[in-house]
Amino acid sequence: MKRFFARNAPAYVFLLPWLVGFFLLALGPILASLYLSFTRYDMVSDPRWIGLGNYEYMFTRDRRFWKALDVTFTYVVLAVPARLIVALGVAMLLDRGLRTIGLYRAIFYLPSLLGASIAIAILWRQLFAEDGVVNQVLALVGIQGAAWITDPDTSLYTLVILAMWQFGSPMLIFLAGLRGIPRDLYEAAEIDGTPRWRQFTRITLPLLAPVIFFNLVLQTIEAFKTFSSAFIISNGTGAPADSLLFYTVYLFNEAFKFFRMGYASALAWVLLVIIAIFTAIAFFTSKYWVHYENERD
Amino acid sequence: MTKLRRRALLGAIGAATAAAAFPMPVIAADRSIRHYWWGNPERDKRTFAVIDTFQKKNPGIEVSGETIGWGDYWTKMATQTAGRNMADLVQMDYRFLFEYVHRGALKPLDEFAGKNLMIADFDQGPLDGGKVDGKLYALNIGSNSQVMVHNTRAFQEASVDVDLINWTWDDFSKACEAITSKSGGKMKGSDDLSLMIEAFEAWVRQNGREFYGPDGKVTATAKDVSGWWQFWADLRKADVVRDKNKTVILDPPIAESGVPVGDTAMSHFWSNQLVGIQAVSKDKIGAAMIPHKPGGKPGQFIKPSMFLSLTRDAKDTETAIAYMNAWVNDPEITSILGLERGIPCSPKVRAALAPKLTEVEKLSVDYFDAIQSKVGPLPLPAPKGAGEVRDAFMRTGTDVVLGKMEVAEAAGMFIQDAQDIVDRAQ
Repeated sequence: MKRFFARNAPAYVFLLPWLVGFFLLALGPILASLYLSFTRYDMVSDPRWIGLGNYEYMFTRDRRFWKALDVTFTYVVLAVPARLIVALGVAMLLDRGLRTIGLYRAIFYLPSLLGASIAIAILWRQLFAEDGVVNQVLALVGIQGAAWITDPDTSLYTLVILAMWQFGSPMLIFLAGLRGIPRDLYEAAEIDGTPRWRQFTRITLPLLAPVIFFNLVLQTIEAFKTFSSAFIISNGTGAPADSLLFYTVYLFNEAFKFFRMGYASALAWVLLVIIAIFTAIAFFTSKYWVHYENERD
Repeated sequence: MTKLRRRALLGAIGAATAAAAFPMPVIAADRSIRHYWWGNPERDKRTFAVIDTFQKKNPGIEVSGETIGWGDYWTKMATQTAGRNMADLVQMDYRFLFEYVHRGALKPLDEFAGKNLMIADFDQGPLDGGKVDGKLYALNIGSNSQVMVHNTRAFQEASVDVDLINWTWDDFSKACEAITSKSGGKMKGSDDLSLMIEAFEAWVRQNGREFYGPDGKVTATAKDVSGWWQFWADLRKADVVRDKNKTVILDPPIAESGVPVGDTAMSHFWSNQLVGIQAVSKDKIGAAMIPHKPGGKPGQFIKPSMFLSLTRDAKDTETAIAYMNAWVNDPEITSILGLERGIPCSPKVRAALAPKLTEVEKLSVDYFDAIQSKVGPLPLPAPKGAGEVRDAFMRTGTDVVLGKMEVAEAAGMFIQDAQDIVDRAQ
């Protein structure tokens, strides 16, 4: 025991800032929110224990909760595959040993760095406004554009497009994965006269499966947590007509606009469970489609 | 390592010497307060000028101003309330006053009145609007009422000649048609007020009811709501109001309303906003009342529009009250403020302002005088949850405006939702 401390003390000293941060700023509030989710708490008066009241209201009476789930799931189902496909496409284009690859990598990664920022969301709102750039370009080719953002039928798709555009980080991971595929496999396929498409489905995809899996899980979690872009584009309310009522936007409104901290905490825990379930599904199904190179079967 | 330590030591000694050599007040103001308000460019300009003036007159006090548009104001305020980080003084609205008082976020002002807050000679009516449960929680810094702002040039060109104080909804529809057809459809008659709950509340009062009853129940009926939404649906069908895609943009900045942009000849505002709207409009604007119902009750009322409230988080209440007092009494400051926030409730201030009024300020005073006999009594403060009901009205209204829901169905749903929201908030 003594030796253990003597050996590891310096490590723990260096870890201290992180440990303090984790316990004080992350774990503490997380546990507090679990407690609060069983209370009615308006942040001014003391929380009042109401048992499962919040959860009961959520599942049986709260129409907006289901609407928020609907919006969020639709978004996840559309945005995640869209982003992954774009990311993989771009990664394959870049995986050709160009000399200027570093430059391109940086350029394509840029939108992801900017994407989370408020400025991009505001820019997006202007691009897709009724008299915005998108409609002006469409007008040039004679198409009458819609009011993309203010029409509940199309508003969500503008956010899906935004998500597609922010393909940078999965693209980098794909690129690294592509680099890891042995070239001789492709050479062998070339010699056998295998068409490009079959090379892709028979070599690239299977060998890339672990990376695809990793990206899928990460991006799904990311998509469930989408907040700032939806918040900005919907003016913070989920408008128009709740078509942009992302789960997190709803949660934020309940907490910070209507002072229902207890209810918002319950919403947060339900989101956690939902994300956990989806991640679990991904892991359980992965054994049927993800194969690791060092596996021998 | 040693080098670094020596440098740090030297630095510390240096700082200590400097601090000893120069006494503190030169470096920093010893008292500071924060003032938070919702605004527009014109209001912000005036308010920061007030802050400068106040600081000049009171060396040693530092006032920091924080401003944001109405749309985001309450979200930010709620966040600050939650974080126990409210500004010392906040601008308060009648709709939200009850809610914040009942959450314990505001401090009563009664103990300061007569001592360092000189409000004894103020008009009692407007002053009482800031009282909750008999205590003064909010100091009136201007009264106003709703107004249909109109473009006088468009009215002239379409020869709309109607008494704009006593007109009816029927007159209004006809004016919309005349203006739209005169401009060949380029300028529509009016903004579509389907989502404007404040205007709808006037409609409910015209029907002889309040939106909220004394026990916090929703007393407006589904029929009131469907009547309102149907009225605007008919105007949309006639194509004499603003495009629906603009209508569903919630709480836009005033410069993006129909009249300033030139899309329409009429927009709905509060009378204190006349100054701000004229500043961003090309044509000369005029002021009309919300149209009446023939034989109906008065819909509008004189609203204590803006208040200044002292918050729970204010540390230096004495300084905050001194600032508050200067706001409503100091001649130099009140003349900077003018009528931009509404009509002041101090007779002295009003008298001092009268000779120096600009054209648009005169318009707002004249309008205010003209409607005095046409308005109803001040309704009770809205119950807790009223802010959320406002969101629900806009949300359901959006579905109606975009034709995704039938008027009658949506109206029934909204009334049900509104009651649920209020019940849940208690």
